[in-house]
Amino acid sequence: MGGIDLGQVTTALIAIIAVPLVLLGYIILGEQVIERLPDRIQEWIRPYFWALPAIGFATVFMVYPLLRTVVISFRNNADTDWIGLANYQYFFTFPDTLTSLRNSLLWLVFYTFFAVFLGLIIAILVDRVKYESLAKIAIFLPVPISAVAASIIWKFMFDYQPPGTTQTGTLNAAIGLVGHDPVAWLVNATTNNAALIFVGVWTAVGFCMVIISASLKAISSEVLEAARIDGANEFQIVRLVITPLLWPTITVVGTTMLINALKTFDIVYVMTNGAYNTDVIATQMFTQLQHNHLSRAAAVGVVLFVAIIPLLVVNVRRFQQQEEQR
Amino acid sequence: MAEVLARRSSRGIALCLGALFLVAACGGGGGNSGGGGASSTDVTVWTAWGGAELKAFKDVLAPFESSSGIKVHITTNRDSTNQIANGIAAGTDLPDIAPGPTDPVQVADWVSKGALKPIETALGDQFSAYISNTYPALTTAPGGSDDPYIGIIGGKHYEMMVKTQVKGLLWYNKKVYTGAAPKSFDDLLAINPSQYGAQKLFCAGFESGAASGWPASDQIDNIIMRQSGETVYTSWIQGKQKFSSPEIKLGYQTFLKEVSAANVYGGSNTALSTNFGKAGDPLFKSPAGCLFLEQATFITSFFQQDFPSLNLKAGTDFDFFAHPSMGNSQYDGNVNGFYDNFAMYNNTPAARKLMQYMATKDAQQIWVNDGGTLGAIKTLNYTDPVFKNAASVAGSAKNLLVTAGDFMPSDMQKAFWQSLLNVTNNPSSLNSELAHLDQVQAAAYQKS
Repeated sequence: MGGIDLGQVTTALIAIIAVPLVLLGYIILGEQVIERLPDRIQEWIRPYFWALPAIGFATVFMVYPLLRTVVISFRNNADTDWIGLANYQYFFTFPDTLTSLRNSLLWLVFYTFFAVFLGLIIAILVDRVKYESLAKIAIFLPVPISAVAASIIWKFMFDYQPPGTTQTGTLNAAIGLVGHDPVAWLVNATTNNAALIFVGVWTAVGFCMVIISASLKAISSEVLEAARIDGANEFQIVRLVITPLLWPTITVVGTTMLINALKTFDIVYVMTNGAYNTDVIATQMFTQLQHNHLSRAAAVGVVLFVAIIPLLVVNVRRFQQQEEQR
Repeated sequence: MAEVLARRSSRGIALCLGALFLVAACGGGGGNSGGGGASSTDVTVWTAWGGAELKAFKDVLAPFESSSGIKVHITTNRDSTNQIANGIAAGTDLPDIAPGPTDPVQVADWVSKGALKPIETALGDQFSAYISNTYPALTTAPGGSDDPYIGIIGGKHYEMMVKTQVKGLLWYNKKVYTGAAPKSFDDLLAINPSQYGAQKLFCAGFESGAASGWPASDQIDNIIMRQSGETVYTSWIQGKQKFSSPEIKLGYQTFLKEVSAANVYGGSNTALSTNFGKAGDPLFKSPAGCLFLEQATFITSFFQQDFPSLNLKAGTDFDFFAHPSMGNSQYDGNVNGFYDNFAMYNNTPAARKLMQYMATKDAQQIWVNDGGTLGAIKTLNYTDPVFKNAASVAGSAKNLLVTAGDFMPSDMQKAFWQSLLNVTNNPSSLNSELAHLDQVQAAAYQKS
């Protein structure tokens, strides 16, 4: 819509050409200086020199905003005065935010459990069938779909029509076959959170399966054979041999899922926008931002961040352990 | 080995950085279009319109440009209020003409900063003609005082109305409902749908993605403004009237009659699960699912889209009547609607000329000829019977009252919309919902 703004094009061109040139200049000129230094200092200074722009960017775009967010969460909305813990008090006492906290907890437990558990089961099962890649593709298909598109697809699946009329929603058509009245999945308080979490699991199982399956392939068949010779049945092998060997991978996938669960936004926003008590922390933060309750939103963000820190720590430790093993 | 790896990864970092730079620079550009000096040959206009609405606007401008020789530079900008607010704060160029803000606090603020120029100045000696030609509800504050909702501050007008729409219309299938328009809400509720071969009295569809609940809020707005009057209605929007107050509670209770299992097609689950665009479909099914659907004028295109084979014609196949009285005749003149306005941000000769032109009957006639809207002038000719009829509703309005939720803080709006979904779902939760809304209200209107 509308014409192309020449000013914007010029800015973009300058950015495309000038920015890489500046970076290149920084590197070439810097290298020339460094090369003249004694070898020992070269070795020491070069990584810092190369990493400096990245550190600068991370500081400007990540560290500073993070610190600012923490500061703002203790200040009033106009950022003129300290108000102590008022924003946090709001978050932990207001019914809406408490509901969102409860729902995020539901996501945390059920989304993570089902995504990882089903991913593990499916990975183990498809490992034993002939048409493995076909089955894997089918399970993996939802992963590249954007969460918004997935939510819209599932809105159609959950569609509700008055009892006695043709059910256009697949689920209600299915339960209609066995004579059950249609269920308003997204409205009914007993089904709506489960329905949303189900959509989340649907989009995540494929991811869990692929990762777990990859590390399953790394388990030597000799180990399994040895277990079989020792008289273990298949259930025992899965429980006592495969699962422990997969444990590091399961932890990494699990923590990733936990973080995803805490960050859940799009599915809830698109399907219910938090109606009928389905709000989660991230949609709550968005609502606060939308109405310029910036310091309240900051407090919600800080709570979310603090909740994620332990998971990050676990994840990073795992990665380090895996690096060391290699 | 490790060193080579380190070098490689640092080169990778540099590459990534370059990419980041690019993204940042591309995102950072933009802004700063519009503006200009006191031109008598050029005028910049911002509007939120696109598509058919933008085409209609260009049709309106074509005769002006050719006769005056003034070039109108249109920018479609759906975020114009925020950008103008930033422009005012930063002292940068503003468009010559753009919509005025809808937030009453912002209107007053911009007037006090001198950013908005009076329509009296823009129109000059044409101002009195503008006032007498335009629907009084759009230009006259109730009781002659200020009304920031229609841009009147300190006795001066700062928003020039060009288009309007009315809401709260009750649509029906003329082949099914053959009775007269009910005089009062009680008469409406007393109509027996089976007499006309329909299942239920009302259809409803409150689902609208992330904005679910707004159609329900239109229904309760139309009840409250006619039941308890414009003063209660306006102070409710401004957060000065509690949700648990008797007037608003009565509004909720009346709304619940419209969506009760006895009155609404398919029961509450259907009303809550049906998209607003599909809500009217049962009107045209055989047998009819319901007699009436309450919605604004835009709904006709949905009827026609959903039943292409019926070739539905406005006025012959379907029609509407205005929202019936709630039994308080002094509030019968309260009509729910919205309007499109233009405000002048730079007092230039070209901008004044364009404002003067847009206030003429000729200009607004082109607008309504392109369809889909009412003009702001009372005496335009409508070929579409729906708009002809809607124009008479607008003409009979004493006060044109804005849609409540749209003028509440957004967290209040969200809670308000969702409360209507919740009470439709579970009417016995009314008291706890209202208590909760009071709590949200107290938090949402806080200044800090």
